[in-house]
Amino acid sequence: VSFTEQLERELTARRVRPAVRRRILLEYADHIACDEESGAGESEVARLGDPAEMAGRFAAELASDDARRTTRNTFLALSATAAALVVGQLAIGHAGGYRGPSNGRSLALWIPAILALLCAPQVALVSGLLAATRALLRRRVVAMPDAEVALIHRRCLVGAGAGLVTCAGLLLYVVNFSAELAGWWLWTQAAMAAAAGTGLMLAIRGSLRGRVTVGGTAGDPESLLDHAVRRLDASWPLQGLRTRPWPAAALAGAVVVIATTLFTAHAERSLVEGLERGGFEAILIAGGLTIVRGLVRLRARRGARPGPAWLQ
Amino acid sequence: MEPHGQLDGMILAILGAGPAHGYAVAQALKQRSDGVFDLPEGTIYPALHRLERAQLLSSEWATAAGRRRRVYQLTVRGRRSIAGARRDWRRFADAVEAVIA
Repeated sequence: VSFTEQLERELTARRVRPAVRRRILLEYADHIACDEESGAGESEVARLGDPAEMAGRFAAELASDDARRTTRNTFLALSATAAALVVGQLAIGHAGGYRGPSNGRSLALWIPAILALLCAPQVALVSGLLAATRALLRRRVVAMPDAEVALIHRRCLVGAGAGLVTCAGLLLYVVNFSAELAGWWLWTQAAMAAAAGTGLMLAIRGSLRGRVTVGGTAGDPESLLDHAVRRLDASWPLQGLRTRPWPAAALAGAVVVIATTLFTAHAERSLVEGLERGGFEAILIAGGLTIVRGLVRLRARRGARPGPAWLQ
Repeated sequence: MEPHGQLDGMILAILGAGPAHGYAVAQALKQRSDGVFDLPEGTIYPALHRLERAQLLSSEWATAAGRRRRVYQLTVRGRRSIAGARRDWRRFADAVEAVIA
């Protein structure tokens, strides 16, 4: 079996795209031919290196770039989703105002729409930010290990999936109130949701296609945010949070709940209203963490196979 | 000896002399280092592809002896980055020199 045949097999096994694979094989074939013309005595593997390692290097670098590109596309599509949501909320007052469950075509449309619009954006925000943060912190890494790439794609997938649910919620809302709200608002919402949804589907396709097979573990959140977390860790009473992510998440949740309660109480001039919204936010955060923690893997998975030496 | 961490800078410096294909880059690396860097020649190609994705190199197909080959050349950005690579290397070499000598 020749070097190029072995290399082709390895590149195929690592799912390197056919066009890229063809180019790589042509370049190595030319290199081998040049070597033969110059009368090189050593074997192809001795001169060029192990085909599996070469294929692994290409695959890991391409997969790392793909992961960063997918993250950027996911983030852009989620931003478009957020824009659709915000524009709709800001403009609805001029299009006929908010409608309750007693209005609209059917409760069967209203309930899933409201659930989707309340919960999915929170999941999308958290997952999208987690994916973007990790990709940003790893922006200079030439070849990321398997687990790192998989983690970024997983978070993008969860974020984009939640974004799609949000878009579906927007469309359901539009359909439910199509007879009661202004036409310009309905068409604007539908168009923005459809555009964002298309971007999200493309991002999901990127996440599903992006895989790498060179091994290696993902860094902990602590190792990625080492500097910031060390500073946080050094200040009492937050010592120990570095190694205890759930108390850290609970603390962050409590801060959000208190802020929501205070801001709402001030804006609505009602402590009861503030407590209601703060409590609602607490339920959403608790539910969100329960749903998202497994999906987005807040902690690195243990026991992943180690990567090759050149990846370290 | 493998030129850990410096391969990209050395490839850019070699291509600073003019366009070349992968084999020519590998030979130039061997000759200029007087045979000290005898890394597996195949590792040149992942580096060339990486530098092209970073827009430091551009490439196009050419035909030589009836074979297709990819010829690489520096982009404007690549030409600029050679100066940065040289500066980083000088700083690193001076630091090692200061410790070892």
